[in-house]
Amino acid sequence: MICPRCDTDKVEVMATSPVGHVWELYLCKTCTYSWRSTETPNKTDPKLYNHKFKIKPETIPSMLVIPPVPPLKA
Amino acid sequence: MSEAGVKDIQVPSGKTGTTKAYHDLRSFLATLEAEGQLVRVKNEVDPEEIGAAGRASANLKNGPAVFFEKVKGYKNPVVTNVHGSWANHALMMGMDKDTPVKEQFLELSRRWDLYPVAPKRVPTAPVNENTVTENINIFDIISLYRINTYDSGCFLSKACIVSADPEDPTSYGKTNLGTYRMQVKGKDKLGIQALPFHDIGLQLSKAEALNQPVPIAICLGCDPITTFMASTPIRYDQSEYDYVGALNNGVPMEITKSATLGLEIPAGCEICIEGYIEPRLRECEGPFGEFPGSYSGARLQAVVRITAISHRNNPVFENLYLGIPWSEIDYLMALNTSVPLYKMLKDTFPEVQAVNAMYTHGIGVIVSTKVRFGGFGKAVAMRLLTTPHGMAYNKIIIVVDEFVDPFNLEQVMWAMTTRVDPDKDVSVIKNCPGMPLDPSSNPPGMHNKLIIDATTPKAPEIVSRETELLTPPAGTEKWEEIISQLVKAARK
Repeated sequence: MICPRCDTDKVEVMATSPVGHVWELYLCKTCTYSWRSTETPNKTDPKLYNHKFKIKPETIPSMLVIPPVPPLKA
Repeated sequence: MSEAGVKDIQVPSGKTGTTKAYHDLRSFLATLEAEGQLVRVKNEVDPEEIGAAGRASANLKNGPAVFFEKVKGYKNPVVTNVHGSWANHALMMGMDKDTPVKEQFLELSRRWDLYPVAPKRVPTAPVNENTVTENINIFDIISLYRINTYDSGCFLSKACIVSADPEDPTSYGKTNLGTYRMQVKGKDKLGIQALPFHDIGLQLSKAEALNQPVPIAICLGCDPITTFMASTPIRYDQSEYDYVGALNNGVPMEITKSATLGLEIPAGCEICIEGYIEPRLRECEGPFGEFPGSYSGARLQAVVRITAISHRNNPVFENLYLGIPWSEIDYLMALNTSVPLYKMLKDTFPEVQAVNAMYTHGIGVIVSTKVRFGGFGKAVAMRLLTTPHGMAYNKIIIVVDEFVDPFNLEQVMWAMTTRVDPDKDVSVIKNCPGMPLDPSSNPPGMHNKLIIDATTPKAPEIVSRETELLTPPAGTEKWEEIISQLVKAARK
């Protein structure tokens, strides 16, 4: 399975529906995007996911850090 | 007690009648339903329909809370838009649902001065009826859903989060109750947005300097004033719990110990998630549709590991929709932002009459004040920019005369159009702290500030010509009362 947002394949099942077997929820281990199997294709299909919200995995380490990590006290 | 969780109390200060103080969410929902301010959806819904329903209800005048009894694939119900109208806001304070906004502001301001009202500590509470510490799966208990289309996942948008000061962990005053957005990233893992100027940001910074985790208790579905207070800016060493008692008109709130970490939590909450913010760890989080009405962007933010979940039987998951204002969050952060800013200003400028900071959490503020001498209005605005909340949030400040109602935008626009000379009354203060979720902050977290002094000029400022204000005809107030009573009777 491919992550709709970052197009990587490190995807796992985060949860299955506690009642019945009516949906699965997936989690991308690269960008932490998650989606439910019953959601619309603009949230689940890599080809239909809005390009403005796409993430390139290589940009993740340089994202803004909130809050900054302080220096360790001696 | 007239019913479980509700206490009728006499209204002090010479007012007549009674008001209500709610000790849990369920008793408030019962009142909303009795007042026609809660609707039930009995049919099963897809989880992602709940965000749309929250948006829809907020679009309605005096929109109700919406209670979903069955969510597809989940065990427990969801409620949204609980604070999402002025009618619900008034009912939260035990007032008539038709109470005008300025009257709610003045009543809130009066109760503010009752602080501190110490909480009552209770040994047991319904939230501890069930506790899970092994094989934790948040989805088993909470009916989670995506709120806005391009949110990065399911979010807790209305949790009351309890955390202690790492350097002074037994300090009651420094224990914080705050609302911070949380992304669900696993069965036992969350992301948290802890901005540096928020209390939890300060606590996290202290703990991370020592490479220590921050124990937290995430309380969902609290009584309405507790949730309201968790989103209110107060001083770091003040207790939110003592304010809840004040805002409940002197009725102490009830707190209890969380099941495993022993943090003091609201006893009436539906669900309590306990865990730790992991020190010195950041991970991709967001975007999330935020209160300025735009997405936040993806950032590297802190991570929470869940160690226990306690909950009432059949717990109700309370969450809110937020998007382009007005939505539920704008009611939740309106008067509770206005009143503390008013109190801080009033401390140094008793001339200040009222503060309307209900636009995007105070990014826009309107202050009405008496003016003692030329430049006074601008000085009041500068003071606002040095208050703890105003420093980061307030960006556009409009100052009007004391006879202008800052909650009446027609009057404010009148002042802007008849009192402002753009050449001398509009000022930009460069390079100040800002709100990083405001998409106009540049870089995120820095801002230029705008002050518009729409007060009438006073000497030694040059007063080019005298103006004589119109006053209402005799009997106007009497007729306002008569007509409003007629309207009320006609609606029954």
